[in-house]
Amino acid sequence: MVRSLLTVSALELRTRVRDRTALIIAIIVPVAMATLFGVALGGDDPPLRATVGMVDLDGGEFPAGVRREVMASTELDGVLTLRDLPGRAQAQSALDAGDIGAAIIFPPGFSDSVGAGQGGKVDVLTSADTPLAGVVANAVVDRISSLVRARTLAVRASLDAGVPAGEVKEFVERNGAAGPALTLENDPMAGGRVDLSVYYGAGMAALFAFFVVGASFRSLLIERKQGTLDRMRAGPIHGWVPIAGKAVVGFALAMVSVCVTWASSVLIFGSTWGDPVAVFTLLLAHVLAATAITMLVASRARTDAQADGVIMVISFVAAFFGGSLVPLYTLPDLLQKIALFTPNAWTTTGLTGLAGSGAGLASVAVPIGVLCAIAAAAFGLAATGFRKGLLG
Amino acid sequence: MTDTLTCANLSKSYGGVVAVRDVGFTIAPGEAYGLLGPNGAGKTTTISMLVGLLKPDTGTVVVGGADLSADPMAAKAKIGYVPQEIALYPDLTGRENLRFFCRLFGLPRKAVRARVEEVLDLVGLADRADAKLDTYSGGMKRRINIGAALLHRPELLILDEPTVGVDPQSRKSILDGLERLVADGMALLYTSHYMEEVERVCDRIAIVDHGSIVAEGTRHELVALVGGADRIELTLDGDVDTALAKLRGLGGVTEAVRTAAGSVRLIAEGGRYLLPSVISTVDGIAAVTAVEVVEPDLEATFLHLTGNTLRD
Ligand SMILES: Nc1ncnc2c1ncn2[C@@H]1O[C@H](COP(=O)(O)OP(=O)(O)O)[C@@H](O)[C@H]1O
Ligand SMILES: [Mg+2]
Repeated sequence: MVRSLLTVSALELRTRVRDRTALIIAIIVPVAMATLFGVALGGDDPPLRATVGMVDLDGGEFPAGVRREVMASTELDGVLTLRDLPGRAQAQSALDAGDIGAAIIFPPGFSDSVGAGQGGKVDVLTSADTPLAGVVANAVVDRISSLVRARTLAVRASLDAGVPAGEVKEFVERNGAAGPALTLENDPMAGGRVDLSVYYGAGMAALFAFFVVGASFRSLLIERKQGTLDRMRAGPIHGWVPIAGKAVVGFALAMVSVCVTWASSVLIFGSTWGDPVAVFTLLLAHVLAATAITMLVASRARTDAQADGVIMVISFVAAFFGGSLVPLYTLPDLLQKIALFTPNAWTTTGLTGLAGSGAGLASVAVPIGVLCAIAAAAFGLAATGFRKGLLG
Repeated sequence: MTDTLTCANLSKSYGGVVAVRDVGFTIAPGEAYGLLGPNGAGKTTTISMLVGLLKPDTGTVVVGGADLSADPMAAKAKIGYVPQEIALYPDLTGRENLRFFCRLFGLPRKAVRARVEEVLDLVGLADRADAKLDTYSGGMKRRINIGAALLHRPELLILDEPTVGVDPQSRKSILDGLERLVADGMALLYTSHYMEEVERVCDRIAIVDHGSIVAEGTRHELVALVGGADRIELTLDGDVDTALAKLRGLGGVTEAVRTAAGSVRLIAEGGRYLLPSVISTVDGIAAVTAVEVVEPDLEATFLHLTGNTLRD
């Protein structure tokens, strides 16, 4: 049975590789589109605007330093806007309302605690709807944290060296142990840039996965039309062999397509998509969902032309609502809710999250879980569709 | 000895339309069995149920002792199916097409090459094996369409109208080939609306009309159903309708139908002695331009049983 399946796969692969148009769709178009978008919209002036809320419960010199540095940073000018908010609850509701994309919260006594060499922790509120703002806020906090560590170390060392506690702060600053209160480096993103090349690269990868895997199910319906499917089914093989044989090839080609888009984004723009294992697993889950959804379409379609049209529509609708074409946060609330039903939204959000942070596989467990659930549901419906139709 | 095919009580409806109604028959090993019926009689629907492409509403199919619904792999392994339309890949060569189905149907890797060459020889396409299928003539496509069903050495070859749209020479070569296969011991289920083909190829024949088998037997048995009657084919010039009405009233004429614009077919007891009265009956209404008296055949039987002609 495995050999029969491989025979179907081999012929499908051969047909797809011989078909120049299919190759172009699988590889060249997504790379070209991602590059075009990246160049046209990324570049020197990315329309990446994050409004980050700032809750200063400390009132000391640390938060003031952050504010001063952000204002002074030319790199962040026009990119990051700080908005002062009185408390955590207000920050949360502003975040929920979409007025801010993330929030940084300085707890009471933060400056004193750091000054006394006891360290301190800054809180960050983020929202899945605005991954880019979250990345910016986290980058700022990363800088704060390293500064806090350095300052804490210096204070401890001075205390150990016998500097009286009352004078240690002045002593440390006078000796420039940790430089001025806060310096933001020109590149605000720790661990690389989340520029729009990653965003559109991810979007194009997510979109074209549908077309690439869909082409294999289209060829299944062509085989039904030309009678070869019936000839296979009349033979001593399981009815699922032709379907599975095609699906395997569509899945593999779609994986190649998304990985090439990923690699080209890294090579052309020097962008970093984040932890490779997490990125690959997320892409795998996306392609699985795309395979299941296009299979579902094929299981209900009457003709290959009909399947083609429906797959085209579904791909673009999912891409649009899923933020593969325009950033999710630019969509109205209702549409952002609808987006949660598309694999693209989970994939794009997951990928942008990975790109900005050093986070690993665990951080995208939820998107991967949702994608697998979408895949399982669509596979189930496709199976009943095939039993009633093609295999009936 | 187990029968090669036994089917019973097969029925299939599409919505309200009954395509096949309570069809059943048996094919012995090495026997050539024919389903003869006009377009729309239910031949393709019956075959689709026999090869497992269509689930019957009722009925059972057993192939060489294996029940099709209980053990489809074993049953299907014994059947070679030749679809009504050419069902092969147009942009692969003949050899590539055969190799694909050989592998798909699980022939041992080493046996594939030899078996493909054997079948190419069998269907007389060895010299065109490396040409793409869409460059083949209609007859060549028909032959390789049959060849692809022989690859896994089935016990029973099921053919759905294998000569439709084929030139006379290719038709002859196809029928010759099928007769050789039967001579070598293969059982055949042959469906057609061409009486001559079924008469020539098949040992036993079922006449199907409107989804049911109306008669079954050897050619001899079926023809005997018409009794001692002859078939008379008349070509008339004049008022054919009136002539037909008059002929229906003539003593000894059991059936009278119009087969073409100026053609009339009669089934008549002792037809050859009736000719003078046939001609005098239509005298003054239409001129008889040609007349032929034919010994009873399946065409006559079909007309006798159904009141219709095989070809519409
Ligand atoms: N898929 C179908 N849907 C509806 N009616 C069908 C279908 N297939 C066949 N039929 C009807 O069933 C009858 C038998 O058709 P078929 O088996 O193709 O006859 P044959 O092969 O003898 O020409 C016809 O009346 C045909 O219109
Ligand atoms: Mg038919």
